[in-house]
Amino acid sequence: MGRFAQRSLLERGRRLSTPAIRTFALSKHFGATQALRDLDLEVGEGEVVGCLGPNGAGKTTLIRLLLGLLIPSGGRGEIFGLDCHRQTVEAHRRLAYVAGEASLWPTLTVSETLHLLGQVQGHVDPDYRDVLVERFDLDVSKKVRALSKGNRQKLILVAALMTRPDLLILDEPTSGLDPLMEQAFRKCIGEARERGQSVLLSSHILSEVEVLCDRIGILREGVLVEIGTMAQMRHLSAFLVEATFDGAVPDLSQVPGVSMVEVLGAAVKCQVRGSVEPLLRALAGSGVRELLSREPSLEELFLAHYGAAPTREIGSPDGG
Amino acid sequence: MGADVRPEAPFTAGAWSSTVVARITGRKVVRSAVGWGAVFGVYVATQSLTYATSYKSIAARRLLVKEFGSNAGISALVGPAFRIDTVAGFTVWKCLTVLTITGAVWGILIGTRLLRGEEEAGRWELLLAGRTTRRGAALQALVAYAAGLVALFVTTGLLIVALGRTSKVDVAAGGALFFAVAIVAGPSMFLVAGALTSQLASTRRQAAGAASAFLGASYAIRMVADSDTGLGWLRWATPLGWVEEMKPLTAPNPLALVPITALVVVAGLLTVYLAGRRDLGASTLPDHSSSRPHLGLLSGPAGLALRLMRPTLLGWAASIVAYGLLLGSIAKAGGQAITSSPSLRLVFERLGVSGAEAYLGVALLIMAVVLGFVAAGQVTAARSEESTGRLEHLLARPLSRVSWLGRRIVVAAGVLVAGGLLAGLSTWVGAASDHAGVDITTMLQAGLNVVPPSVLILGIGVLVVGARPRMSAAVTYAVLVWSLLVEITSGVVGVNHWIIDTSVFHQMAAAPSAPIDWTSNTVMVVVGALAALAGVAAFRRRDLQGE
Repeated sequence: MGRFAQRSLLERGRRLSTPAIRTFALSKHFGATQALRDLDLEVGEGEVVGCLGPNGAGKTTLIRLLLGLLIPSGGRGEIFGLDCHRQTVEAHRRLAYVAGEASLWPTLTVSETLHLLGQVQGHVDPDYRDVLVERFDLDVSKKVRALSKGNRQKLILVAALMTRPDLLILDEPTSGLDPLMEQAFRKCIGEARERGQSVLLSSHILSEVEVLCDRIGILREGVLVEIGTMAQMRHLSAFLVEATFDGAVPDLSQVPGVSMVEVLGAAVKCQVRGSVEPLLRALAGSGVRELLSREPSLEELFLAHYGAAPTREIGSPDGG
Repeated sequence: MGADVRPEAPFTAGAWSSTVVARITGRKVVRSAVGWGAVFGVYVATQSLTYATSYKSIAARRLLVKEFGSNAGISALVGPAFRIDTVAGFTVWKCLTVLTITGAVWGILIGTRLLRGEEEAGRWELLLAGRTTRRGAALQALVAYAAGLVALFVTTGLLIVALGRTSKVDVAAGGALFFAVAIVAGPSMFLVAGALTSQLASTRRQAAGAASAFLGASYAIRMVADSDTGLGWLRWATPLGWVEEMKPLTAPNPLALVPITALVVVAGLLTVYLAGRRDLGASTLPDHSSSRPHLGLLSGPAGLALRLMRPTLLGWAASIVAYGLLLGSIAKAGGQAITSSPSLRLVFERLGVSGAEAYLGVALLIMAVVLGFVAAGQVTAARSEESTGRLEHLLARPLSRVSWLGRRIVVAAGVLVAGGLLAGLSTWVGAASDHAGVDITTMLQAGLNVVPPSVLILGIGVLVVGARPRMSAAVTYAVLVWSLLVEITSGVVGVNHWIIDTSVFHQMAAAPSAPIDWTSNTVMVVVGALAALAGVAAFRRRDLQGE
């Protein structure tokens, strides 16, 4: 109930204030490849939105368009009502970005890099920076050249978080982090949410998105195929049924609404869409010993969307 | 490899992977070597055939000998003019130093790119995860390099032998091949030097820098040796001097091959030895992995640019000072040689130019070339910030593209002006130490006079970064190298003035021997600035692009 009240308050707030991110039919093609097609997305103020999709689905392209690093082929995007392409400097004062690949200046040390990036950003919360350096266990005297991939990733995370931006744009920010640091990252996002900061998080780690995000969007071949809360997504998708039989296993593949039937000895695993009644009718009288039904995890939702159909390689040639 | 491979599979796979470095590297090196061999052969052919047609009579050739035969200044720049009254002697004089240095630069670039560059990019990790040891991989790379040098020798040699059979040139095959050996000697030594510095340094840039410093020092020592100061024996102290001592086509001296071979063999062995002693990706020389913070310059993109390029810029400054002092100190001798020709002396007297100034006018071209390389280096450094993805960390913050690129251009232009002044000042110091009677104001102006061509190169480079980012290094260096080749070629033999005009260096007056051409300099700076502006405008309107 509390969560519901919080959400409706949030909905009202979203209508009143300018959204952190808003795109209007945003499109991008690289030559003949369509990387992003007519994307309409809104991230409200204080909202944490996750962005999922296989490699080359257009996640990085979307983020690079929002940052003004790419020029849109069509449509446009706004950050707090500021045009992503024409008002980049004003927009960037309010956001911070963490790239998926932390290529930094190898000869600079960690503290030099933080100093430089802080200077370019213009404002830093020095106390929070010290907390973050401690939390992520960074050795500030080390040169970037001597850092592992995970440590470089921690460095750019700290550089982004220390500015306490109104909007965090994170492109697979936890790649290369160990579970302990992953925990520290989640704590930071939790803090950001409490402070009313907005977050756009693109990720491969589904459990992370599931835990952190208010809403989740799924990109596929440059198109936003789904967006909604976890609850809404579950409603759209199938749920799982596992049944164990005493005798022979009946053939369930012809039952309406049932798909992905797997037989493992005396057990059957399948997905059900829509009404469960045809399946119950088919199971009745066939000696069911055990019946389990549960909501799919995000992982299974994801596989339901992408597992079956082969996806073509689409995306930015620069590693989208 | 899965566990279910058949017994013979590991053997074949192992044999295949055990030579993979040699084959991958070899293919790249040989392809590049054949291309450059063709360029070298054609260059030799143009020089000799133009000479044969331009200087037909014995009288014309004697005049040439009189003007250049004993000119210490020219000899310091491109080597002594030995028997230039013959086609063979002239061709060697015009080609050997130029091709040796071009080939040495090629050798350094390829030697460091394929060893340290591949390792830096992490590609060796994949290869060495197999059965190849580090030492084996280095040895294989050297074998590939040897194949490349053979390809360079064969291509150049065949073209020169063919050229020698023409009636105009008429050189025996043996002599022609020895000439080809001399041409390949320089590239060989510096390629192996690049392979060796690749083991010592930890980045390709550092490795190339160290090998280039070796080349610069070799050139400087050769300059002293060839500047008629009684220090001719110094020629035996520099790899470039050894090549000169080979005296192909005129007085062949195979003895000079001894130090050349020794250098190649010793450096090669050291490379293999050091490759086995260090970790993959690490350097042999101490490389501190942490340090105290130095925040002074790190307040924005301009400071960052200076901080990142500090080692490179200090290296360039050191070479400018060294060459300035050297050129200045031999200016008097060089000037005396020039003004020993009565007709030329009359011309310079009428202009009110002293002998030393007349010489420095020619010699300062080298400073213009150095600044051209500095400008091209700034262009590629800016582009590499983008291609590596580092630029994203800056541009995702409140920093506009115009502001970033604009500040880089301002820093680069400032560096070029400082370089010009440093060139003028150090040359004046060198000249003053020899009491050459050259005025400091004149030299500072002459120093500034060499800046505009590099500003033009910078502008063109920025334009390409904006419009065709992936081609920026290729186009910028092409403009530079083309201008340099035109300038060198047009020195003695007649070249169509339309072609000469395409050289950025040709637009610059040879101050202090000629009055500074302010109009031409202004035009170069304005065109450079306009090109840079167009580049910035294009950069604003395009996607950021990786490699």
